[in-house]
Amino acid sequence: MSDATLQADRARPPVSPFVERLKERLFPTPLSGLLSALGIAAALWIAFVLIRWAFLDATFTGTPEDCQQTTGACWAVISARWRLMFFGLYPYELHWRSGIAGLILIAVIVASCVPVFWSATRLALLWVVSFALFWIIMHGGVFGLETVTEEKWGGLTLSIFIFCGTALVGMPLAIVLALLRRSRYPLVAKVAAVLIDTVRSLPLVTILFTVSILLPILMPDMPLSKISRVILGMALFFAAYQAEIIRSGIQSLPVGQEEAAKALGLGYWHRMTRVVLPQAFRRALPPTISQFAISFKEVALVIIIGVFDFLASGNAAYGSGEWAFTYVEVYVFLAFVYFLFVFSLSRYGAYLERRMRVGK
Amino acid sequence: MTGPKGLIAAGIAAAAHLAFSTPVYAAESETLAAVQERGVLNCPGHNGSYLGLAEVDDKGEWKGFDIDLCRAVATAIFGTYEDHVNIVPLSWAQRWPALQSGEVDTIIKASGWTLGRDAELGFQFSNIYMLAPTKILVPKSLGAESVADLDGGAVCVPAGTSTERSVAEYLERVGIEMEFVTSEKTEESEAAFLSGRCDAFAQWDVQLAVLRLKSGKPDDYMILPDSIAAEPVGALVREGDDDWLDIINFTLTTLLAAEEAGVTSENVDEMKANPPAPGIGKMLGATPGYGERIGLSDDWGYNVIKVMGNYSEMFERNLGKESPYGLDRGVNALWQDGGVLWPILID
Repeated sequence: MSDATLQADRARPPVSPFVERLKERLFPTPLSGLLSALGIAAALWIAFVLIRWAFLDATFTGTPEDCQQTTGACWAVISARWRLMFFGLYPYELHWRSGIAGLILIAVIVASCVPVFWSATRLALLWVVSFALFWIIMHGGVFGLETVTEEKWGGLTLSIFIFCGTALVGMPLAIVLALLRRSRYPLVAKVAAVLIDTVRSLPLVTILFTVSILLPILMPDMPLSKISRVILGMALFFAAYQAEIIRSGIQSLPVGQEEAAKALGLGYWHRMTRVVLPQAFRRALPPTISQFAISFKEVALVIIIGVFDFLASGNAAYGSGEWAFTYVEVYVFLAFVYFLFVFSLSRYGAYLERRMRVGK
Repeated sequence: MTGPKGLIAAGIAAAAHLAFSTPVYAAESETLAAVQERGVLNCPGHNGSYLGLAEVDDKGEWKGFDIDLCRAVATAIFGTYEDHVNIVPLSWAQRWPALQSGEVDTIIKASGWTLGRDAELGFQFSNIYMLAPTKILVPKSLGAESVADLDGGAVCVPAGTSTERSVAEYLERVGIEMEFVTSEKTEESEAAFLSGRCDAFAQWDVQLAVLRLKSGKPDDYMILPDSIAAEPVGALVREGDDDWLDIINFTLTTLLAAEEAGVTSENVDEMKANPPAPGIGKMLGATPGYGERIGLSDDWGYNVIKVMGNYSEMFERNLGKESPYGLDRGVNALWQDGGVLWPILID
């Protein structure tokens, strides 16, 4: 912009800088202006079509026949079958138990995100108590609660449970693997490295097939249930990746940190838990949050070994003769729920980074 | 008082009784023993819904033809299926190892009988409970009444599948030509058909009925009557447990023989009181002999029909006119009605 136009601008009555900037960005020349106008029109049109489909013409409650009268989305399938999606094959009259158990896990996840609980003992206590509570409510068999075996668990509650179990078993395992890989003893370090690289070179699907199908054939008296085996398999997978993330955090620290701690006479455990790991975690926070988000979505892979998770329950939800045509609505709903979880996780990660002043 | 002679005579009589009385083949099936001890029959479900055969209702209960067949087997063993059936959700790939590892006791999961599965997997197939015909779905607006009317049209098929091959062979046999619109996956083929990129879509008829419903406008489509190929569908058990296979085969026979004789869940009590034929009387337990020989109670046939209904009732409620799919029995009728199904004779 030349000085002359600046002068001219000052002479004109004041226009809000936002509108001014918008005008400059979108309509600098006639051709660009035309393209902008077309782009905006297209975006508005797409938004209008989507809104018309999802809200204006949609059917929110009622029967499949009601839906077929209109051209919009058939959200009636969600109101008719949401319990199936959230609780899967859990006995219908006991759904409240699955609901409470799921809410407990969500509450504990939220609680663990609050700095008040950030000490190893508090976190451990919180998780042990809540897992015990989850098990009592979900599985029953005590306090007069009817027993519901793990094969009957399903839906969103089961997905969250598998995710929590994976993270809970996987995170300590990851720390151990990361530390072992940095061990002073070459043999230990090599073994840890080979283990991590082997697991990372296997697809998760292979691991799931192994724990769910191969193990029972090789060891017919396997005491672990299918869900526990799945959690252990997924935790191993999670740990292999997370271990490398932690190691990258550790290696990004100046060597002086650990040497200074050594010079002060701190033992190995104190050096690790007080000096190295806290800083490593802070530096590795962004990839750690990604790893959690990835793991949450990877839980959906268990559908291929017949675990009735949220995705499988969604398949079942539109899988009846009456609702067969509502697959788009069901998948949109599933995606929305996944989005809620993963997006909150990302926002939380962003808050943590601000709090810890990562990158500054 | 009997003397020594009397004792000897009694001894001979007893020995003769042991030697010549009708031998009773008590069930020696390992699987049956395991199921009875467990009190539960484990059958495969699906990882989601497989419409018409294994789907989940609003309350999370399984239903469908395959599920009902499993319940019939459980009813044969326990007299009722309530609390005696456990449906294990399984993906397609998982069903074979699940049977091998004993996770399920039988596979009743829309599984076609092939040489490979029979010879190489270590399983045995039961008598078929369904012949799955490949048919063709067309929009009604096309006005076609048989495949012959589709000459010069386009048909959507997933590339490289047995369906593609059967359609090509059939078209050659009836001497008409169609353009093939192939896609990598079945879902893509379905979408191509629904968006009107071709005039016809070939699949197993149950899947066609499902696709018709998926379109949201079931009345706009019709399944042409021609069967262009068929796949025999049976239950599978682990090889070497013949007595267990018998139980599945005779459960199927009970369902079919009841339909043949007009025995339904409604009239089974009258039929048991006044059996129309000796075989039916035996099957329903009016006269003994049906259960003992395969290791079940003598009234198991009655229980199956009372609880599950006959084959026709099971078909109609899951796939036929009383279901959203509205399929005809077609080739899956009894042999008298022009179908391929038959019961084993009950003597």
